Amino acid sequence: MVLEINNLTKKFGDLVAVNNISISIAEGELFGLLGPNGSGKTTMIKMLTGQIKPTEGTINVLGLDVLKNPVKVRELVGIIPEQESPPSFLTAEEYLEFVGKIRNIENIKEKCDRWFHLLDFEDQRNILCRNLSRGTRQKLMVAQAFLHEPKLAFIDEPLINLDPIVQRTIKDFIQDYIKKGNTIFFCTHILEIAEEICTQIGIIDKGKLLHLGPIQELKDKKQHLEDFFIKLVKEER
Amino acid sequence: MKILKTMMKEEWRVHANLFGGAMFAFFPLLIGIGTFAASLFLPYLRTIIPDRQMLLLAHYLFILLGVGIGAFGLFGREVMNRRFGQASLIAYSSRTLPVSERTIFLNFIIKDVIYYLFLWIIPIIVGFVLATPFVSISTISAIYACGTLVISFLVGLSLVFFLSTLYAHSSKILAALLVSIIIAVLVLIRYYAVDITMLLPSYSMFYQPSLLKILLLISLILFPSAISLIFLKVDYPEKKRQYENNLGSLSDRLKFSAHSYYVAKDFLDMKRSEGGLGKIIFSFLLPVAFTWVFLYIFFEKIPTINIIMIFAIFLGIVSSSMYNMLTEFDTFNSYMFLPVSVSTVIKSKITSYMLINIISLIILLLVAMGTNQLFYFIPALCSLVTISVYALSMTIYFTGLHPTILLYNAKTFSQYVLSIAPVLFIFTIVSIINPIILLASPILLFPSLYVVKQSYKKWDNWQPLSF
Repeated sequence: MVLEINNLTKKFGDLVAVNNISISIAEGELFGLLGPNGSGKTTMIKMLTGQIKPTEGTINVLGLDVLKNPVKVRELVGIIPEQESPPSFLTAEEYLEFVGKIRNIENIKEKCDRWFHLLDFEDQRNILCRNLSRGTRQKLMVAQAFLHEPKLAFIDEPLINLDPIVQRTIKDFIQDYIKKGNTIFFCTHILEIAEEICTQIGIIDKGKLLHLGPIQELKDKKQHLEDFFIKLVKEER
Repeated sequence: MKILKTMMKEEWRVHANLFGGAMFAFFPLLIGIGTFAASLFLPYLRTIIPDRQMLLLAHYLFILLGVGIGAFGLFGREVMNRRFGQASLIAYSSRTLPVSERTIFLNFIIKDVIYYLFLWIIPIIVGFVLATPFVSISTISAIYACGTLVISFLVGLSLVFFLSTLYAHSSKILAALLVSIIIAVLVLIRYYAVDITMLLPSYSMFYQPSLLKILLLISLILFPSAISLIFLKVDYPEKKRQYENNLGSLSDRLKFSAHSYYVAKDFLDMKRSEGGLGKIIFSFLLPVAFTWVFLYIFFEKIPTINIIMIFAIFLGIVSSSMYNMLTEFDTFNSYMFLPVSVSTVIKSKITSYMLINIISLIILLLVAMGTNQLFYFIPALCSLVTISVYALSMTIYFTGLHPTILLYNAKTFSQYVLSIAPVLFIFTIVSIINPIILLASPILLFPSLYVVKQSYKKWDNWQPLSF
């Protein structure tokens, strides 16, 4: 298992953002964590990558205890955060170079060129991040997450603010990436995308895990993910 | 009026959101209590320092406060911007609503004046006036003095608005104007024997009030603000501007540091951000220049006090504010998803801080040479470095990467002041008794480094209270 979560709980004061969740994800899976706005998806990603500490529970990522090795875990994995937030006063190219230096990536120039080309924003490479459109900043976030070719990536709404052409490019990239044996933990509330590319799904609402299983199960029952999702969430509420 | 009211509410909510309404509301009370307590020492101070010099010092301090608060108000927009996003601030709403930038800016200035009057100036005045019955000062004179002090504050505020507008148009014109003013003042003092104190109309108003001075003061407040408003320049993002990739070459030059690319980023941030070099001028060089002027006037006639030693102590404190500036360009949110700990970013900020503070060292050397006190340069340097590092360590311990925000939390502010004040007091007393003793002051670097190490642990374990 590349990711093992046991009895994970996160409380912010009286609010229980994540409530006693256990999930195991095997190598080569594209796991989609689905849920309405404010259901606890981003809090999950932040805990799984050591950005915030859980109130209870254990997390093991690529054989490492996240609580004990948060920085090491972030070194191994790639993360697309919920909000695109590259530093304001670096150019797009400088930002990728900066990430490359933090991650000790070799041949950074070539890798940057590849991403600028793949996501079609070469003409934006010398513009300050603060002056980039939200879509271009999101491209930059996608590029930085995969620059070091991690075995496991946590991606939070990766297609937000992107045009359909780039969305297609990224979906294709993600599927190729999985075929190579890598793993992705994918958070979204856009169900069509999850239905299209995920192999396993988890449905979360108000911090509780309502469903866990392969997407194929639903497909076999000829059930649409959207209908299943809405019914499940409404029943629980 | 509606915009002004909304801006006031917004300012309150921004601060209340950051550390709770109660802690922010307590801040003026703390300033008032602090001033009251400090005022009780006035009878002792009056036996050493003449009233006139003390009042002059207070006027310079209030101008400095106006300059500092004005600069924070203008450049602080960047801080709030990163914290809340441009769209959420009324200061940026001219881009989305049918309101001109000029109207917004005018309301912004008035809001700043009212807000900071209540936050700083009125608490100081109330604290001082309440203490007058206990220190044999006429309450009427105290209130009158407070009036001229408020004018000094407004002059400082107006001055910085004017200088910032000038800077937005041309940094060269600003530099030329500042140099011309300095030369003119020096010429007036040296060749025309003009009393420098009379160059401060709010101060001279206290002793020799006249209608002419009232008019002069009103125009000193209104004229620069009006000019600033008329020639307001709005900087919209330069979408088309291309920048050369300088990160690699700059970090290569900084290879001596383990965090060379973070430090390179800090320098690029400073160079390319709103204000750029102006930030150093407004938040560092201007306060340092003011400090030197009032120390020179204040202590010139007291031979037992060594000005360069006192200046080094003040310089150490003012220089520690450079850390605040370095943390304003980014939040840790930009690093959270990378293999970076808070302590790594703090370490890199410390390196940047040390490099920028070469400016302090040069200033001290120039002052020592200019005043023929090179003999005291080494003990003064020891004081400067020690105070600067000590104040930095306390800033880091109490505020981590958020000094400009957390220092407005009454609890954090009082902890910070209580940790710094005794050390400043001891250094000042020792510098009067025998400056050479301060050669031993670097001993304080050891506890400072210990505090910094503890800060790494504290901030690496820090968790947000909400999501």
